[in-house]
Amino acid sequence: MSMSQEEIEALMSGLDIQDDDSSEVEEEDVPAAIEEVKEEENNTMSEDDIAALIAQTDIPSDDAPQVEEVAPEPVMETAADESLDDILNNFEEDSDDTSSDVDEENIDDILADIDGITEVEPVKEEPVKSAPVEKTPESPSASADEAADEAIGRTWTDKQIDQGNFPHRVEKEHKVVNQLSQVANDSEEQASKIFDVLSFILDENNVIQKNTKELDGFVTKQVVLLETLCKKFPNVAAFSANLELAKSMQQAPKDIATRVDNENTQLFQAMELMQFHDINRQKIERVMAVIKKLSTYLNNLFEDETGYHDVATAKHIHGDSNNDLVDEADLDALIAEFAK
Amino acid sequence: MKILIVDDSSTMRRIIGNVVMQLGFSRDDFDEAEDGLKAWKQLVETQYDIILTDWNMPNMNGLELVKKVRAEGNHQKTPIIMITTEGGKGEVVTALKAGVNNYIVKPFSAEVLKEKLDGVLKR
Repeated sequence: MSMSQEEIEALMSGLDIQDDDSSEVEEEDVPAAIEEVKEEENNTMSEDDIAALIAQTDIPSDDAPQVEEVAPEPVMETAADESLDDILNNFEEDSDDTSSDVDEENIDDILADIDGITEVEPVKEEPVKSAPVEKTPESPSASADEAADEAIGRTWTDKQIDQGNFPHRVEKEHKVVNQLSQVANDSEEQASKIFDVLSFILDENNVIQKNTKELDGFVTKQVVLLETLCKKFPNVAAFSANLELAKSMQQAPKDIATRVDNENTQLFQAMELMQFHDINRQKIERVMAVIKKLSTYLNNLFEDETGYHDVATAKHIHGDSNNDLVDEADLDALIAEFAK
Repeated sequence: MKILIVDDSSTMRRIIGNVVMQLGFSRDDFDEAEDGLKAWKQLVETQYDIILTDWNMPNMNGLELVKKVRAEGNHQKTPIIMITTEGGKGEVVTALKAGVNNYIVKPFSAEVLKEKLDGVLKR
């Protein structure tokens, strides 16, 4: 509830302040209102944000390798794996529909039984990513591939950001409170410069007014002088001509003074309108305060006090709709194939 | 006549100063402070005839300044006009209870400030 100047006057003249305890109520209402807004925004933003984040991050790893994620290692890249390639190729010819997504331990066991495979560097598992591929030791070509994958991923992500599908990366210039604070400060700086310009014009106008006043005095004196000369020397045409000219010029300083006065009025109005800069700054500060409180609230909400560490998550779980799964028959066939 | 203008916005201080000058005061007639703490420091050092203060400021806000001025120091009887964006009835009442003599809601015009200044000076 905002009060007009008249209402303030009425309130002040009414002097019903002593009995009015509404101030405390109002004061309590303000944070309550903020809390309401906060809660409201928390609900909205948290749901939306989470939904948006899920939607944006739920991308098939083959199509969208994230920058942070380790790109899947190319399968069977090293020379030592050639024998395994051959085996797998033979196997694939026999069972086209069979997926290679077998339990990691089984594959390890199977591979351990195959001659020649044991010489290969032990394969490091990626439990978190649960990638079906085995990670081979770093080699120049592998790192180059990885860099290339990262570049592709970055390009793809940049494209998504440009198209507005992804939010901007969390960098200083995209942090909301940072941006708002910068806007408020820049605006203050620029407003000060605008005020400098207005003040300069105002000062110049004051000088013009002062000079105009002197000019007006001079022209008036010239008119008086020329009138005297015209009376004494009525036959001198130059005096009468100059008198006419001086009389016509007499109005010019007055016109200038009027115009400068009007201009000053406009300048004062412009200066008064610049109060909206301060009002807008305070609005921005209020939004910043809400965002900061919201951020603190969300951090508290999602804070983990259990010491939870990331664990390996299954890629394929029973019940998933995924074509890349093996059934019992496929599994048996696969094991039998490796046992040959 | 000495006036103290307290506002955290430099633009706002200049606007108020400009309005004050329109009312016939000179640049030497007023000082500026950007928050309540700095204003209090100046109030201790200099005697002012009127205080024009904003409400929302860092370090010490306008309301705290008003309460401090009314409670201690040598400006307990000095007229104070609060110039702020806070236009709620509760805020006005709170400010008046704290000891403010008059209250102006931003944005304001030169005429309004003139009326309020005249009003507090007559008292």
